[in-house]
Amino acid sequence: MANVSVAAEWQLLGDRYYRKPELYHPMQWRHIDLSRNKVACAPFGGPVALIRDDSKIVQLYSESALRKLRLFNSAGVSLSDVVWKNPGGRLIGLSWSDDHTLVCIVQDGTVYRYNVHAELIEPNLSILGHDYFDENVVECVFWGNGVVCITETCKVFAVPDFKTRTVVRLADPPPPPIELELELELPHCVAVIEPQFTLSGNVEVLLAIGDGVVMVEEDEVQALPVPPGDGPLQKMVVSGNGRFVAAFTHDGRLAVYSTRFEKMFEYQCESALPPEQLAWCGLDSVLLYWDDMLLMVGPSDEPVRYLYDEPIVLVPECDGVRILTNTSMEFLQLVPNSTVSIFKIGSTSPAALLYDALDHFDRRSAKADENLRLIRSSLPEAVEACVDAAGHEFDVSRQRTLLRAASYGQAFCSNFQRDRIQEMCKTLRVLNAVRNPAIGIPLSIQQYKLLTPAVLIGRLINAHQHLLALRISEYLGMNQEVVIMHWACSKITASLAIPDAALLEILLDKLRLCKGISYAAVSAHADKNGRRKLAAMLIEHEPRSSKQVPLLLSIGEEDTALMKATESGDTDLVYLVLFHIWQKKQPLEFFGMIQARMLARDLFITYARCYKHEFLKDFFLSNGQLQEVAFLLWKESWAIGKNPMASKGSPLHGPRIKLIEKAHSLFSETKEHTFESKAAEEHAKLIRMQHELEVTTKQAIFVDSSISDTIRTCIVLGNHRAAMKVKTEFKVSEKRWYWLKVFALATIRDWDALEKFSKEKRPPIGYRPFVEACIEADEKGEALKYIPKLADPRERAESYARIGMAKEAADAASQAKDGELLGRLKLTFAQNAAASSIFDTLRDRLSFQGVS
Amino acid sequence: MAQIPNLDNAPLNLTSLREQSQKELLNILKNIRGKKCLVIDPKLGSSLSSIIQTSLLKEHGVELRHLSADPLQTDCIKVVFLVRSQLDLMKFICSNVHDDVSKGLQREYFVYFVPRRTVVCEKILEEENVYNLMTIGEYPLYIVPLDEDVLSFELDLAYKESQVDGDTSSLWHIAKAIHKLEFSFGVIPNVRAKGKGSVRVADILNRMQAEEPVNSPDMVVPEINTLILLDREVDMVTPMLSQLTYEGLLDECLHVNNGSVELDASIMGLQQEGKKIKVPLNSSDKLFKEIRDLNFEVVVQTQSVSELKDFVKKLNSLPEMTRHINLAQHLSTFTSKPAFLGQLDMEHTIVEAQSYDICFEYIEELIHKQEPLVNVLRLLILFSITSSGLPKKQFDYLRRELLHSYGFEHMATLNNLEKAGLLRKQESKSNWLTIKRALQLVVEDTDTANPNDIAYVFSGYAPLSIRLVQHAVRSGWRPIEEILKLLPGPHSETRRGRFSSSPSYDTLQASANIDKVADGRRSLVLVVFIGGITFAEISALRFLSAQVCQICCMKGWHMI
Repeated sequence: MANVSVAAEWQLLGDRYYRKPELYHPMQWRHIDLSRNKVACAPFGGPVALIRDDSKIVQLYSESALRKLRLFNSAGVSLSDVVWKNPGGRLIGLSWSDDHTLVCIVQDGTVYRYNVHAELIEPNLSILGHDYFDENVVECVFWGNGVVCITETCKVFAVPDFKTRTVVRLADPPPPPIELELELELPHCVAVIEPQFTLSGNVEVLLAIGDGVVMVEEDEVQALPVPPGDGPLQKMVVSGNGRFVAAFTHDGRLAVYSTRFEKMFEYQCESALPPEQLAWCGLDSVLLYWDDMLLMVGPSDEPVRYLYDEPIVLVPECDGVRILTNTSMEFLQLVPNSTVSIFKIGSTSPAALLYDALDHFDRRSAKADENLRLIRSSLPEAVEACVDAAGHEFDVSRQRTLLRAASYGQAFCSNFQRDRIQEMCKTLRVLNAVRNPAIGIPLSIQQYKLLTPAVLIGRLINAHQHLLALRISEYLGMNQEVVIMHWACSKITASLAIPDAALLEILLDKLRLCKGISYAAVSAHADKNGRRKLAAMLIEHEPRSSKQVPLLLSIGEEDTALMKATESGDTDLVYLVLFHIWQKKQPLEFFGMIQARMLARDLFITYARCYKHEFLKDFFLSNGQLQEVAFLLWKESWAIGKNPMASKGSPLHGPRIKLIEKAHSLFSETKEHTFESKAAEEHAKLIRMQHELEVTTKQAIFVDSSISDTIRTCIVLGNHRAAMKVKTEFKVSEKRWYWLKVFALATIRDWDALEKFSKEKRPPIGYRPFVEACIEADEKGEALKYIPKLADPRERAESYARIGMAKEAADAASQAKDGELLGRLKLTFAQNAAASSIFDTLRDRLSFQGVS
Repeated sequence: MAQIPNLDNAPLNLTSLREQSQKELLNILKNIRGKKCLVIDPKLGSSLSSIIQTSLLKEHGVELRHLSADPLQTDCIKVVFLVRSQLDLMKFICSNVHDDVSKGLQREYFVYFVPRRTVVCEKILEEENVYNLMTIGEYPLYIVPLDEDVLSFELDLAYKESQVDGDTSSLWHIAKAIHKLEFSFGVIPNVRAKGKGSVRVADILNRMQAEEPVNSPDMVVPEINTLILLDREVDMVTPMLSQLTYEGLLDECLHVNNGSVELDASIMGLQQEGKKIKVPLNSSDKLFKEIRDLNFEVVVQTQSVSELKDFVKKLNSLPEMTRHINLAQHLSTFTSKPAFLGQLDMEHTIVEAQSYDICFEYIEELIHKQEPLVNVLRLLILFSITSSGLPKKQFDYLRRELLHSYGFEHMATLNNLEKAGLLRKQESKSNWLTIKRALQLVVEDTDTANPNDIAYVFSGYAPLSIRLVQHAVRSGWRPIEEILKLLPGPHSETRRGRFSSSPSYDTLQASANIDKVADGRRSLVLVVFIGGITFAEISALRFLSAQVCQICCMKGWHMI
C-alpha cells in the first residue's frame, strides 16, 4: 500500500511521530562549508547569511583573504554579497530581525545593519557608546527585533527594538563573593526571555553564573534557585512560547525547567560535553547537536538519533526546526494528527479509508464504494482530515492526491463546507509558489498563518519579488497598492539611466492598475532620488489635492501648487501655499504672485485684516488700491475711539482726526471715491465740532454720536443756536431738520415750543411729524392741534383712529372715499359697537356711490 | 423641557448622525484624563446644546466656560479649548494663555478645532508663541440637526465671508458636509445648483467623490434622490421681507437661536421678575409642530375661537397650549403696532415695484425719523434689489442721510453692502418685474387659512427661492432656463453615481422618476441654502413637501 511508504519515514518519539521532509536538495549553492562560516538563518523560511568565521582557523582555497558577507535564500540561491570591511574588530554575532534586516555586532559594540540586498543601512548604532569605549562585547543573544550584549566585564546592554534604536543598560549581575577573590567570571551561557513573554514587558536575561542562574532586568537582578547538582549550566535555550528553559548541565544531563527553574524533566545524555547546538523543536522536544549526531529528546525515555556526516545549523521555527546542511534543507516537525490518521500503518480511521477509497476508485475497483459505505456517517471529518493533511504536505503530488481524496469524499456528503477545499487550494498555491527554489521561502502552513499573507507580501517586496507579490495579493483579493507603490519606488531608484518621460510612462502603466494609489508618495520618492522633473510629472496625476499641494511646494512648484490649491476649493490648502510663499519670497514678489489670483488674494487680505494691518497696507499701496488703505485708516480711527483710554482726555482726539484726514486725502486721490472722501471730511469736522461742544457744555456726551443725534442733544439741552450751527455746517435738509426738532421737543415735552415751531413757517413736510410726536407721547390734546392741518384725509382718518376718535376718523375716511381704509378702521374699533356701525353705514354709502 | 429635538420622525436617520457627533465629543473628553475646563466659543456652545446635554458633559469631569477676551477663571490644570477655526477666536485663546503665563500658572492646553484644524489658525498660535504649549486636535462637527427636517452647517458668517471678503472656506465646508452625509446615505444622484457658490459646491463635491469615493453598493438605492443647492445671493429679496409665519415672527421679534428663544419670564406668566428663560421650539412640541408653519393671522384666530377647546382636547397638553398662547400674545403686541403694519405695506409696495417715488420717500422718512437701522436697511436693500440699484444721485443722497443719522462708523457697513451687491448704484434696467411675473411671485387672493400656494407665508408673496426649488424638484432647470439667466450666478445640473454611465437617461425621464421611486418610498430632496435660510422659507418648503416630496434644508444666516 502506498500509505506504508509514507509512514516508513517517520520516527516515533514516545507516542508521537516526527518526520523530516527534505525542503530543498540539493542546495543551489556550491562549495559552501557551513563549518567554516558564521551563519544566520531567519525564521519563517527567511534568508540565510554566511560569513567566514574569523574566530576559527580555516584553510583558504582559491579565494580572497577579504571576507565576504553572502546572503542566500533558503534554497541556497544567492541574493547578494558584499565585502566585509567594517572596522570594530571581530564579528561577535549576526542575526536577522523581524523585518529582514541583518544585524551584525562586532567587538566594539558597533551594530551594522544590512538589508537583503546587502546594502548597509546607515546610520550604524553603537551599543557601548562613548562611556564604555574600552570595553568589548563578548557575547550577544538576539530575539525578534532586539539584542542583548554582554561585555567582557560582564555588563549587560540591550537594544529592545532596532527600530527605535535606543540602548538600555541593564542591571549588573552580582559580583562573585569577595572572600573568594576570584576574577570576574563571565557567564557560562546566556538566554533571553523576550519582552512579549515577560510580566514587566521588558526583556529578561538569564545568565548562568557559577552554580546558579541570575535573571537580569532593566533595574533588577534576581538570583533564581537552580535545583542543586544541576549547575553550572553549560547551555540554555528558552522555548518558543517563553515558558520553558532547556539547559545542559555540567554532568551531561538535559534538563527542562520552567522559567523560574522548577525542574520538569531531565534526560541523561551519553556525553558530558555540552552540545554544539541546542534547540527546541516545537514545544514537545529538544534537539541537541554534537559533531555528526543530532539527538531529539522528548518527554519519553527513548530519544531519536539522526546521523549527519556534514555540519548542520538548526533553525527553530514555531512548529518545528529547519535543519540546514551544506547540501540540503530539511524540516523536522511533529507529524500533524490528520496526517497520522491517514498514513499511520494499519490506520482504519475514516480519513485513511477515504484516502484508500480514492485509490480504489482510481483503479476502478468496487472496493471504493465499500470503503465509502463504511465511513458514511463520519465522512465530513474524513474530508476535513484530508484537507488538513494536504495543507501540511510539502510534496505537491501528495497535496494533490489528498485534495482529490477530499473532493471525492465531499461529493458524497451534503453538509460539508464547500469553500474549505477551495480555501486550502488557494493557500497551497501561494505556499507552493513561494517554496519554489527561485523564491526560496519554505513556509509551512502553520508558519504562513502565523506570519499572515500581508507580512509575506511585505517580505516578497523587500526581496524585490514584485511580480509574485502582486500576483499573490491579487489572487488573495488583497490591496495591491503596497506592492505597486514599492515597485514604483524601487523602479525609480533602479532606473537612473531611463529618461524621465519614458520612465513616467512605465510607471503610469503600472500605477493605473490600482485605484486610489498615492501618486504623491511615488513623486516624493522621485524627488528624493533627485529626479525633480519626474516628480513634477508624477504629481500631476495625484487626484488628492491635499497630498499634491504640499509636495508641489516641496519641489518648488509654488505657482502650480497655488493653482491646484485654488482649484480644490479647500481654503486650508490655499493658506498653506500662501504662507509658504510668503515666507520664501520678498514681499513685492509675493504681492505680485497673489495679485492675479483672486481667492489667494482675498484669503490673504482676510488674514492680514486680523493680524497684519501694516503689511496689508503695504499690499494695497503696492497695487494702488488707495481707497482700501483709506478704509483701513478710518477703521483704525474707530478702534482708537472705542478704546476707553482715548475717549476721555480730549487731546487724544487729535490722532483720530489725523487718521481720518489721511483717509480723506487718500480717498480724494481717485475719482470714484468722492463720496467716501466727502464723508471722511465731514466726519473729521464733526468730531472737532463735538469736541468743542463738549468743552463748552462740559458734558462728554457728544463725541461719536451722529450728526442727527448731535442736533437732537443740542435741542434737548436747549442750545438752539448750537443746533442751528450744526445744521448749517453740515447742510442738513429742512425735512430732516423738522423731524429732528419736532421729536427732540416732544422728548422734553416742550409743547409750547413745538407749537411755536409749527407756526414759524409752513413745515416742508406737512404736520405729520407733529401729529406723530404728540401721539407717541400720548398727548391727545396736543395732537388734536395738528390733526386738522393734515392735508391728506386718509392720514387724518388714521390719526383720529389712533387717538380713538371713531366719528372723526370715519368722516375723514369717507372724505377720502377709501373703502378699504374704512374696513380697516372698523376692525380697529371692533370692540366698540357704536363706532363699527358708523363705519358700516359709511362704507355702504361709499360703495353705493362707487356703483352709481 | 428638552432642548435637544427628537429626531425619530426624521426622513433620514439623523439620530445616528447626532449620536456620532456626541460620541466623538465624549471620546475627546475621555482621552483627556481627569478634571478639565472646557472653554467653548459662545456660538459653538449653542450648537452643542442641540447635540449634547450639559449634564452629560459634567459627568465627564467637565467645567464649562465660554471663550472671551477676559482671563479664564478656573482651578483646573487641564484646559480644553473647543473652538471653530475662526481667525478672531485665536486672539482670545492667545490672550487667555498669555494671561496664565504672566500669572505663572502652568496649565495643560488642548485646542480642538471644529470642524478641522486649519493652517491659518495654527499659524496665528505659532506667531503668538503659544503653539508649543498646546496639543492640537480636531472635532469634525460639520452638521448639526436642528430639527427632524432641518440641518445646519453652523456657518453664521458664511454669507459675509464669501460675498464681501471672497473667503470661500464655507463652500468647501458645505461640500465636505454633504460628502459626509453621502457616506451614510449614499451618493446623491441628482444635483441641481443655482448661483456661483452652489455651482462651486457641486464642483467640489464631485472632486471629493473622485478623490475619496463613497462606495455605495450598486444595489442600494441612495436615500437622498436629489440635491438642490441655492445661493442666498440668488434671492436676497425674501430675507429682507418680514416673515409672517408663527415661527418666522418669533424669529423677527425674539430671534430664534438653535431651536429656542430667550425671553423675560414674566411674558410666560411666571412670577420671576427680570429673569430670562429659554423656551425650546422644535417638532418635539406637538402643538408647535402643527402651528409653526401657519400664517400668524391664522394662529391668532385659531386661539381666539372655540377651536381652542378642541385643540386642548386633541392634544391634551395644557402646558404647551398656555406656552404658545403667551408667546402669541406677546407677538401680538408687536404686530398690532402701526409701524409694523406700515412696514408690511411698504414691503409689498416695493415688491410690486410699481411706485418708485412713494417707496423712496418712505425710506427717506424712516431715516429722518432714525428708525432702527436694521429695519431701514432691510427696506433699502429690498428697494435696491428690486430696482437693480438706485440712481447715483439718490444713492449718494440716501447714503449721506444714513451716515448723518446713524453715524459715520456705518460707512463700513455701507461699503460691505455695496461689495455684496445689496445696496448699489443703478447700472442697468431692473428685470425684477419680468422675474416676478414669470415666476408668479405675487399671488393675489391668498387664503392664509387654507393655503394652496407657498405665497401664504408672506401673505401674498411667494418666496423666489422656494419657487425655484419648486421648479427644480418638479422639472429641473431646463424649462425656466431663461429666467435663471436673469438671476445672479450660473446654474448647473448634473447626474452622478452609477446613473451617469447610462447615457440614455435624460433629464425628462429623471424628472418623471422623481415623484415615484420604485419601492413606493417617496423620494427625498435635500435643499441646501448657501448663505442661510429664513423660517418662512422653511415653512414654505414644508408646505411643498406635503405636496411633492420630503425635503430637508439647511442653516441660519446673519449678515450685518
